[in-house]
Amino acid sequence: MNINVENTQPLADLSDKELARMEMAIARKYLNRFSWFMVVWCFANLACWLALWPLTMSGILPLWAAFPIATLNVILCYLPSHDAQHSNYAKNGKLRWFNELIGYVSTIPMVLPFKIARITHMEHHTHTNDPALDPDYGVKADSWWQAIIVGIKRRQPGQPNSYGATLQRLGADPVVKRAILEGMAQSLSFWIILCALAWSGYALEAALIWWLPRYVGSIYISLMLSWAPHFPKPERGRYRNTRHFESPLGNILVMGMEHHIVHHLHPGIPLNWNAPAYREMKPVLDARGCRSETFGGA
Amino acid sequence: MMRTVMQKLGPWGPVFFGVGFLAPLISTLMINAGVTPPLGLSTVQAGLIIGFTVGLQAKLRGRWL
Repeated sequence: MNINVENTQPLADLSDKELARMEMAIARKYLNRFSWFMVVWCFANLACWLALWPLTMSGILPLWAAFPIATLNVILCYLPSHDAQHSNYAKNGKLRWFNELIGYVSTIPMVLPFKIARITHMEHHTHTNDPALDPDYGVKADSWWQAIIVGIKRRQPGQPNSYGATLQRLGADPVVKRAILEGMAQSLSFWIILCALAWSGYALEAALIWWLPRYVGSIYISLMLSWAPHFPKPERGRYRNTRHFESPLGNILVMGMEHHIVHHLHPGIPLNWNAPAYREMKPVLDARGCRSETFGGA
Repeated sequence: MMRTVMQKLGPWGPVFFGVGFLAPLISTLMINAGVTPPLGLSTVQAGLIIGFTVGLQAKLRGRWL
Protein backbone atom coordinates (compact mmCIF):
# COMPACT_ATOMS: atom_id res chain seq x y z
CA MET A 1 0.00 0.00 0.00
CA ASN A 2 1.33 3.44 -0.87
CA ILE A 3 -0.16 6.32 1.07
CA ASN A 4 0.87 9.92 0.56
CA VAL A 5 0.05 11.41 3.93
CA GLU A 6 0.64 14.98 2.71
CA ASN A 7 -2.44 14.72 0.51
CA THR A 8 -4.71 13.27 3.15
CA GLN A 9 -5.83 16.32 5.13
CA PRO A 10 -6.98 16.92 7.73
CA LEU A 11 -5.46 13.91 9.52
CA ALA A 12 -6.73 15.03 12.91
CA ASP A 13 -10.24 14.13 11.74
CA LEU A 14 -9.31 10.55 10.91
CA SER A 15 -10.23 7.71 13.21
CA ASP A 16 -7.68 5.84 15.33
CA LYS A 17 -7.99 2.89 13.00
CA GLU A 18 -7.30 4.97 9.90
CA LEU A 19 -4.31 6.67 11.52
CA ALA A 20 -2.95 3.30 12.64
CA ARG A 21 -3.31 1.98 9.09
CA MET A 22 -1.40 4.94 7.67
CA GLU A 23 1.30 4.65 10.32
CA MET A 24 1.78 0.95 9.65
CA ALA A 25 1.89 1.51 5.89
CA ILE A 26 4.87 3.83 6.38
CA ALA A 27 6.52 1.66 9.03
CA ARG A 28 6.37 -1.42 6.77
CA LYS A 29 8.68 0.31 4.29
CA TYR A 30 11.45 0.32 6.89
CA LEU A 31 10.69 -2.64 9.15
CA ASN A 32 12.88 -5.75 9.09
CA ARG A 33 15.45 -4.33 6.69
CA PHE A 34 18.99 -5.61 7.13
CA SER A 35 21.17 -2.65 8.03
CA TRP A 36 24.72 -2.96 6.71
CA PHE A 37 25.29 0.52 8.11
CA MET A 38 24.85 -0.76 11.68
CA VAL A 39 27.01 -3.82 10.98
CA VAL A 40 29.89 -1.67 9.69
CA TRP A 41 29.36 0.71 12.63
CA CYS A 42 29.71 -2.18 15.10
CA PHE A 43 32.87 -3.77 13.70
CA ALA A 44 34.64 -0.55 12.65
CA ASN A 45 34.11 0.93 16.10
CA LEU A 46 35.26 -2.24 17.86
CA ALA A 47 38.32 -2.56 15.60
CA CYS A 48 39.24 1.07 16.26
CA TRP A 49 39.01 0.57 20.04
CA LEU A 50 40.99 -2.69 19.94
CA ALA A 51 43.67 -1.02 17.79
CA LEU A 52 44.24 1.60 20.49
CA TRP A 53 45.88 -1.01 22.74
CA PRO A 54 48.83 -2.02 20.52
CA LEU A 55 49.13 1.52 19.16
CA THR A 56 49.56 3.03 22.64
CA MET A 57 51.57 0.16 24.12
CA SER A 58 54.05 0.41 21.26
CA GLY A 59 54.26 4.18 21.60
CA ILE A 60 52.86 4.93 18.13
CA LEU A 61 49.83 6.77 19.52
CA PRO A 62 50.13 8.99 22.63
CA LEU A 63 47.69 8.30 25.44
CA TRP A 64 46.33 11.85 25.41
CA ALA A 65 45.11 11.17 21.85
CA ALA A 66 43.86 7.66 22.62
CA PHE A 67 41.64 8.78 25.50
CA PRO A 68 39.12 10.87 23.49
CA ILE A 69 39.06 8.23 20.73
CA ALA A 70 38.35 5.49 23.29
CA THR A 71 35.62 7.61 24.88
CA LEU A 72 34.03 8.07 21.46
CA ASN A 73 34.29 4.30 20.90
CA VAL A 74 32.44 3.63 24.17
CA ILE A 75 29.75 6.17 23.27
CA LEU A 76 29.31 4.57 19.83
CA CYS A 77 29.41 0.94 20.93
CA TYR A 78 25.93 0.72 22.43
CA LEU A 79 23.63 1.34 19.47
CA PRO A 80 24.62 -1.58 17.20
CA SER A 81 24.01 -3.83 20.22
CA HIS A 82 20.71 -2.04 20.82
CA ASP A 83 19.52 -3.09 17.36
CA ALA A 84 20.62 -6.65 18.21
CA GLN A 85 18.59 -6.50 21.44
CA HIS A 86 15.57 -5.99 19.18
CA SER A 87 16.81 -8.78 16.86
CA ASN A 88 16.92 -6.32 13.98
CA TYR A 89 19.77 -8.12 12.19
CA ALA A 90 17.96 -11.47 12.21
CA LYS A 91 14.89 -12.51 14.18
CA ASN A 92 15.59 -16.18 13.45
CA GLY A 93 16.99 -18.40 10.72
CA LYS A 94 20.54 -18.78 9.45
CA LEU A 95 21.74 -15.33 10.49
CA ARG A 96 20.43 -15.47 14.04
CA TRP A 97 23.95 -16.17 15.37
CA PHE A 98 25.16 -13.01 13.63
CA ASN A 99 22.54 -10.93 15.44
CA GLU A 100 23.68 -12.35 18.78
CA LEU A 101 27.35 -11.90 17.86
CA ILE A 102 26.84 -8.18 17.27
CA GLY A 103 24.94 -7.94 20.52
CA TYR A 104 27.79 -9.51 22.45
CA VAL A 105 30.88 -7.97 20.83
CA SER A 106 29.68 -4.44 20.11
CA THR A 107 29.54 -3.42 23.77
CA ILE A 108 32.90 -4.89 24.84
CA PRO A 109 34.33 -1.35 25.32
CA MET A 110 31.57 -0.44 27.78
CA VAL A 111 31.35 -3.94 29.33
CA LEU A 112 27.60 -4.19 28.96
CA PRO A 113 26.34 -7.77 29.26
CA PHE A 114 24.17 -8.34 26.18
CA LYS A 115 21.51 -10.61 27.67
CA ILE A 116 21.00 -8.36 30.68
CA ALA A 117 20.82 -5.34 28.38
CA ARG A 118 18.18 -7.08 26.25
CA ILE A 119 16.03 -8.14 29.20
CA THR A 120 16.11 -4.77 30.95
CA HIS A 121 15.62 -2.89 27.67
CA MET A 122 12.50 -4.89 26.88
CA GLU A 123 11.20 -3.99 30.34
CA HIS A 124 11.91 -0.35 29.51
CA HIS A 125 9.80 -0.68 26.35
CA THR A 126 7.00 -2.46 28.19
CA HIS A 127 6.89 -0.06 31.13
CA THR A 128 8.22 3.21 29.72
CA ASN A 129 8.12 6.01 32.32
CA ASP A 130 6.65 3.77 35.01
CA PRO A 131 8.49 4.85 38.19
CA ALA A 132 8.37 1.34 39.64
CA LEU A 133 8.95 -0.84 36.59
CA ASP A 134 10.95 1.14 34.00
CA PRO A 135 14.65 0.32 34.65
CA ASP A 136 15.63 3.60 32.96
CA TYR A 137 13.41 5.74 35.17
CA GLY A 138 16.34 6.52 37.48
CA VAL A 139 17.81 8.96 34.92
CA LYS A 140 14.91 11.35 35.55
CA ALA A 141 16.20 14.90 36.09
CA ASP A 142 14.94 18.43 35.47
CA SER A 143 17.74 19.47 33.12
CA TRP A 144 20.58 17.96 31.11
CA TRP A 145 23.26 19.00 33.57
CA GLN A 146 21.24 17.59 36.48
CA ALA A 147 20.95 14.39 34.45
CA ILE A 148 24.76 14.23 34.32
CA ILE A 149 24.94 14.63 38.11
CA VAL A 150 22.28 11.94 38.52
CA GLY A 151 24.37 9.73 36.21
CA ILE A 152 27.45 10.21 38.41
CA LYS A 153 25.46 9.59 41.61
CA ARG A 154 23.91 6.41 40.21
CA ARG A 155 27.40 5.00 39.62
CA GLN A 156 28.53 5.39 43.22
CA PRO A 157 29.03 2.19 45.24
CA GLY A 158 26.03 0.95 47.16
CA GLN A 159 23.48 3.02 45.21
CA PRO A 160 20.17 1.37 44.29
CA ASN A 161 20.56 -0.41 40.96
CA SER A 162 17.33 -0.37 38.95
CA TYR A 163 18.69 -2.94 36.48
CA GLY A 164 19.56 -5.31 39.34
CA ALA A 165 16.09 -4.75 40.82
CA THR A 166 14.49 -5.56 37.44
CA LEU A 167 16.47 -8.79 37.18
CA GLN A 168 15.48 -9.73 40.73
CA ARG A 169 11.82 -9.09 39.89
CA LEU A 170 12.07 -11.38 36.86
CA GLY A 171 14.49 -13.76 38.58
CA ALA A 172 12.51 -17.01 38.35
CA ASP A 173 12.90 -17.16 34.58
CA PRO A 174 15.81 -19.45 33.53
CA VAL A 175 16.72 -16.99 30.75
CA VAL A 176 17.16 -14.29 33.39
CA LYS A 177 19.25 -16.59 35.58
CA ARG A 178 21.50 -17.36 32.63
CA ALA A 179 21.77 -13.64 31.81
CA ILE A 180 22.78 -12.84 35.40
CA LEU A 181 25.52 -15.49 35.30
CA GLU A 182 26.80 -14.20 31.97
CA GLY A 183 26.77 -10.67 33.30
CA MET A 184 28.69 -11.63 36.42
CA ALA A 185 31.29 -13.52 34.36
CA GLN A 186 31.68 -10.57 32.01
CA SER A 187 32.03 -8.00 34.79
CA LEU A 188 34.48 -10.19 36.71
CA SER A 189 36.54 -10.72 33.55
CA PHE A 190 36.64 -6.97 32.99
CA TRP A 191 37.95 -6.20 36.46
CA ILE A 192 40.50 -9.04 36.34
CA ILE A 193 41.82 -7.86 32.94
CA LEU A 194 41.90 -4.24 34.13
CA CYS A 195 43.85 -5.12 37.29
CA ALA A 196 46.18 -7.47 35.40
CA LEU A 197 46.97 -4.71 32.91
CA ALA A 198 47.58 -2.24 35.72
CA TRP A 199 49.95 -4.55 37.63
CA SER A 200 51.77 -5.43 34.38
CA GLY A 201 52.88 -1.84 33.86
CA TYR A 202 49.97 -0.68 31.71
CA ALA A 203 47.98 1.15 34.37
CA LEU A 204 47.71 4.37 32.40
CA GLU A 205 46.65 2.53 29.23
CA ALA A 206 43.99 0.62 31.20
CA ALA A 207 42.77 3.82 32.81
CA LEU A 208 42.65 5.97 29.69
CA ILE A 209 41.50 3.42 27.11
CA TRP A 210 38.99 1.46 29.17
CA TRP A 211 38.18 2.52 32.72
CA LEU A 212 37.73 6.28 32.35
CA PRO A 213 36.21 6.18 28.80
CA ARG A 214 33.72 3.60 30.06
CA TYR A 215 32.73 5.89 32.91
CA VAL A 216 32.42 9.05 30.79
CA GLY A 217 30.85 7.23 27.84
CA SER A 218 28.22 5.49 29.97
CA ILE A 219 27.09 8.82 31.42
CA TYR A 220 26.87 10.34 27.91
CA ILE A 221 24.87 7.34 26.69
CA SER A 222 22.57 7.60 29.68
CA LEU A 223 22.05 11.32 28.98
CA MET A 224 21.41 11.05 25.25
CA LEU A 225 19.68 7.67 25.02
CA SER A 226 17.66 7.58 28.23
CA TRP A 227 17.18 11.09 29.55
CA ALA A 228 16.77 13.17 26.37
CA PRO A 229 14.20 11.01 24.52
CA HIS A 230 11.94 10.63 27.56
CA PHE A 231 12.38 13.96 29.36
CA PRO A 232 10.56 14.98 31.56
CA LYS A 233 9.12 11.47 32.03
CA PRO A 234 5.66 12.23 33.43
CA GLU A 235 3.61 10.66 30.65
CA ARG A 236 2.77 7.09 29.78
CA GLY A 237 1.06 5.68 26.74
CA ARG A 238 2.21 4.71 23.28
CA TYR A 239 2.25 8.17 21.67
CA ARG A 240 3.30 10.31 24.64
CA ASN A 241 5.93 8.37 26.60
CA THR A 242 8.71 9.28 24.17
CA ARG A 243 9.27 12.38 22.11
CA HIS A 244 10.83 13.85 19.03
CA PHE A 245 13.26 16.62 19.97
CA GLU A 246 15.47 19.14 18.20
CA SER A 247 19.00 18.83 19.52
CA PRO A 248 21.36 21.83 19.56
CA LEU A 249 24.12 19.30 18.91
CA GLY A 250 22.45 17.87 15.80
CA ASN A 251 21.07 14.39 15.32
CA ILE A 252 24.48 12.74 14.83
CA LEU A 253 25.90 13.85 18.19
CA VAL A 254 22.78 12.59 19.95
CA MET A 255 23.21 9.35 17.99
CA GLY A 256 19.91 9.51 16.13
CA MET A 257 17.84 9.95 19.28
CA GLU A 258 15.92 12.96 17.92
CA HIS A 259 13.57 10.43 16.33
CA HIS A 260 13.33 8.06 19.27
CA ILE A 261 9.53 8.19 19.09
CA VAL A 262 9.75 6.09 15.91
CA HIS A 263 11.89 3.52 17.73
CA HIS A 264 9.35 3.13 20.54
CA LEU A 265 6.48 2.81 18.09
CA HIS A 266 8.34 0.44 15.76
CA PRO A 267 11.47 -1.06 17.38
CA GLY A 268 11.97 -3.28 14.33
CA ILE A 269 13.11 -0.29 12.25
CA PRO A 270 16.93 -0.14 12.32
CA LEU A 271 18.37 3.04 13.82
CA ASN A 272 19.58 4.56 10.56
CA TRP A 273 16.04 4.50 9.12
CA ASN A 274 14.35 6.16 12.08
CA ALA A 275 14.91 9.65 10.63
CA PRO A 276 13.34 9.02 7.18
CA ALA A 277 10.53 7.06 8.80
CA TYR A 278 9.91 9.97 11.17
CA ARG A 279 9.78 12.51 8.34
CA GLU A 280 7.21 10.42 6.49
CA MET A 281 5.25 9.65 9.61
CA LYS A 282 5.25 13.15 11.06
CA PRO A 283 1.72 14.21 9.96
CA VAL A 284 0.31 11.01 11.45
CA LEU A 285 2.30 11.51 14.66
CA ASP A 286 1.15 15.12 14.90
CA ALA A 287 -2.45 13.96 14.53
CA ARG A 288 -1.80 11.49 17.35
CA GLY A 289 -0.61 14.32 19.60
CA CYS A 290 2.99 13.11 19.77
CA ARG A 291 5.48 15.41 21.45
CA SER A 292 7.87 17.44 19.32
CA GLU A 293 10.04 19.54 21.61
CA THR A 294 13.43 21.13 22.16
CA PHE A 295 16.31 19.23 23.78
CA GLY A 296 15.82 20.63 27.28
CA GLY A 297 12.17 21.59 27.38
CA ALA A 298 8.82 21.87 25.73
CA MET B 1 27.84 -20.81 43.49
CA MET B 2 29.26 -17.95 41.41
CA ARG B 3 26.24 -15.83 42.25
CA THR B 4 26.73 -16.41 46.00
CA VAL B 5 30.42 -15.57 45.82
CA MET B 6 29.71 -12.37 43.86
CA GLN B 7 26.98 -11.35 46.31
CA LYS B 8 29.37 -11.78 49.24
CA LEU B 9 32.27 -10.01 47.56
CA GLY B 10 30.26 -7.35 45.71
CA PRO B 11 29.99 -4.87 48.61
CA TRP B 12 33.78 -4.99 48.96
CA GLY B 13 34.19 -4.05 45.30
CA PRO B 14 35.56 -0.55 46.02
CA VAL B 15 38.30 -2.00 48.26
CA PHE B 16 39.28 -4.57 45.61
CA PHE B 17 39.24 -1.77 43.06
CA GLY B 18 41.43 0.39 45.29
CA VAL B 19 44.02 -2.34 45.78
CA GLY B 20 43.74 -4.04 42.40
CA PHE B 21 43.59 -1.05 40.10
CA LEU B 22 44.08 2.26 41.88
CA ALA B 23 47.27 1.10 43.65
CA PRO B 24 49.30 0.37 40.50
CA LEU B 25 47.75 3.41 38.81
CA ILE B 26 48.82 5.69 41.67
CA SER B 27 52.27 4.06 41.65
CA THR B 28 52.64 4.72 37.91
CA LEU B 29 51.45 8.32 38.29
CA MET B 30 53.98 8.91 41.11
CA ILE B 31 56.82 7.51 39.00
CA ASN B 32 55.81 9.61 35.98
CA ALA B 33 55.51 12.75 38.11
CA GLY B 34 58.85 12.10 39.84
CA VAL B 35 57.23 12.00 43.28
CA THR B 36 59.14 10.16 46.02
CA PRO B 37 56.87 8.67 48.69
CA PRO B 38 57.63 9.64 52.32
CA LEU B 39 58.95 7.33 55.07
CA GLY B 40 61.08 5.38 52.64
CA LEU B 41 58.04 3.71 51.06
CA SER B 42 58.22 2.46 47.50
CA THR B 43 55.71 3.84 45.00
CA VAL B 44 53.91 0.48 45.00
CA GLN B 45 53.62 0.49 48.80
CA ALA B 46 52.36 4.08 48.73
CA GLY B 47 49.89 3.16 45.97
CA LEU B 48 48.62 0.21 48.01
CA ILE B 49 48.11 2.33 51.13
CA ILE B 50 46.33 5.14 49.25
CA GLY B 51 44.31 2.74 47.04
CA PHE B 52 43.16 0.67 50.02
CA THR B 53 42.25 3.77 52.04
CA VAL B 54 40.33 5.39 49.17
CA GLY B 55 38.53 2.11 48.41
CA LEU B 56 37.62 1.53 52.07
CA GLN B 57 36.22 5.04 52.51
CA ALA B 58 34.18 4.58 49.33
CA LYS B 59 32.80 1.29 50.66
CA LEU B 60 31.96 2.81 54.06
CA ARG B 61 30.55 6.13 52.80
CA GLY B 62 28.83 4.73 49.70
CA ARG B 63 30.47 7.25 47.37
CA TRP B 64 33.88 7.94 45.93
CA LEU B 65 33.99 11.71 46.40
